Amino acid sequence: MEQLVKELKEHLIEELNLEEITVEDIDTEAPLFGDGLGLDSIDALEIILILEKYYGVKLANSAEAKPAFYSVKTLAEYIMQNRK
Amino acid sequence: MEETMDKANVKIYLGASSIRTCLGNKAETLTAMRNGESGLVYSDIYSMPVGIAECKESVEYTRFESLLLEQLHNVIAESGIDLTQDDSILIISTTKGNIDYLAKDCDNIPERAYLDVSAQLIAENLKCKNKPIIISNACISGVSAFVVARWLLVSGQYKHAIVAGCDALCEFITSGFASFKSISANPCKPYDATRDGLTLGEAAGAVLLTTEHGVSGNSVVCLAGGAISNDANHISGPSRTGDGLYYAINNAMNEAGVKSEDIGFVNTHGTATRYNDEMESKAIAWAELCDKPLNSLKGYIGHTLGASGVVETIISSEELKLGYIYGTKGYNESDTPHQLTISPNIQSFEKRCCVKTASGFGGCNAAIVLDMEQREISTAKKHIDSKVVAEYELPQSELPFAEFIRNEFKAIGESNMKFYKMSDMSKALYIAVEKLLSIEGFNETEPIRRAIVLANKSASLDADAIHQEILNKHLPEGASPAAFVYTLANVSAGEMCIRHKIQGDNTFFIEDQDSGLTEKYARSLIENDKVDVVLFGWCEYLKGIWNVNVKLLKSIQ
Repeated sequence: MEQLVKELKEHLIEELNLEEITVEDIDTEAPLFGDGLGLDSIDALEIILILEKYYGVKLANSAEAKPAFYSVKTLAEYIMQNRK
Repeated sequence: MEETMDKANVKIYLGASSIRTCLGNKAETLTAMRNGESGLVYSDIYSMPVGIAECKESVEYTRFESLLLEQLHNVIAESGIDLTQDDSILIISTTKGNIDYLAKDCDNIPERAYLDVSAQLIAENLKCKNKPIIISNACISGVSAFVVARWLLVSGQYKHAIVAGCDALCEFITSGFASFKSISANPCKPYDATRDGLTLGEAAGAVLLTTEHGVSGNSVVCLAGGAISNDANHISGPSRTGDGLYYAINNAMNEAGVKSEDIGFVNTHGTATRYNDEMESKAIAWAELCDKPLNSLKGYIGHTLGASGVVETIISSEELKLGYIYGTKGYNESDTPHQLTISPNIQSFEKRCCVKTASGFGGCNAAIVLDMEQREISTAKKHIDSKVVAEYELPQSELPFAEFIRNEFKAIGESNMKFYKMSDMSKALYIAVEKLLSIEGFNETEPIRRAIVLANKSASLDADAIHQEILNKHLPEGASPAAFVYTLANVSAGEMCIRHKIQGDNTFFIEDQDSGLTEKYARSLIENDKVDVVLFGWCEYLKGIWNVNVKLLKSIQ
């Protein structure tokens, strides 16, 4: 799980162009959307792509698994439950 | 400031028109709509339902150009007005032109992918005296083109204008919308409780606008007013309040000298995405138009992008003459926050005056008013002068762009997380505008009284190449929404609207070099008391080479 969280943060930084942000800067349990990282609806769509690309987890839209998009922790848990 | 005769007394008549949609030519399209028939069918090529227009291909012209030329030749033949005279102008509205050419080579962008090159070929075919004006303002392009045409005619620069809009479908476009998860698996259902996304279509339309009543034949429909606004909220998501679209509707109605009780019907954008239709219902409620018959034509012909504003305005003008509007195909049951007067069937209306709206990426909104009443509009108004109060040109650098722009951003001492997500053109514009506004700012000017007017040659070709390169990899997960969203030049302007709360006019022109068009249009916005301050200029970025020069124009009170 710890490894997955770190890897997921790396993917988020890379794919969402979070320049100037390091893995250590991202609080695993803090809300992903809103003030912190400044993510928005386009980032939500990109996170869907990350889930598919790296973990084979398919989602039609972010509303389908809204609670999973709350934090890095919830995303990692969702991947654990649904990855192939 | 001086009191002058209002040039707005000049009436703009809609003359001959021609359209080509997935339902056929104008007569065929109108007949199908009256019969409630949709032209949207599932396409194996795009793996989604789409509306494909029939097009006579030629060796000489692309699909986009052929579709446009067919409508333009029809309008010229019917009206007898051609474009070879000094007093006539062609205005082309498109979002992507010949973007399919980019698939051939992303590194050395083919000439034909430039909108001004394609427009020039069309102009040569028609022997145009004047260079065409090109507007690429996302999905409001068509309605924007009417607003610009109205300015060109009312100000006396031309007597006749032909407004023509077109976009041809290709994988570049369909894959991008698919990445946004905004495509419905079935033909779209505008405003319906079960709506789940839009359907793309291709179409072309052209219509003559003229100040001479005689040449417009039997038509007595006037383009009475128009306005453009911005949500200043998000580059792709519709506003949650509908305030931006409301401002556009309200300003267009004010210009036309009409109130809500004068309006017969409203033809909206009505794309059938959850949020767009919801946003529109709020704006319609603000404008007190909920009780007016309303329709969206997207269920018949799809969302035809840069053509939609032109094609749907032409159909609206036909509906004005008929006295009834076509039903909203796909609509059955309402669930929008405000109940609209909408029906799957034909609805009759009373007042011969309508509002046509559009909204698009970059947060832009546009509205125009078509009027069959011979209304007198106030004759005296303020004439306001303007002055350039600041100018900033982004310096050139020995450093690669990425490094240069990061240094510039850090030097400003900011931590806006959004910056690094932006397209390179947006970043270049961002820095230039920060510097410009540090010389002289918007100060207390209300957001709705601020405007941004930009132009360049490459539109968004730099961002387009990035999207195309992703497509060329044929990844199983498809295109990137973060890359696709910047494949519209005006989205960079939209970023500035969000950053600096600009809610007035936002128009993006494409031209081969700065002809002074942005300054002329900017001055007209102040002269006609539409805004108090305009950020205008040239905004070019392509493959690591930039040329960004922005100016601030203010009213002299």
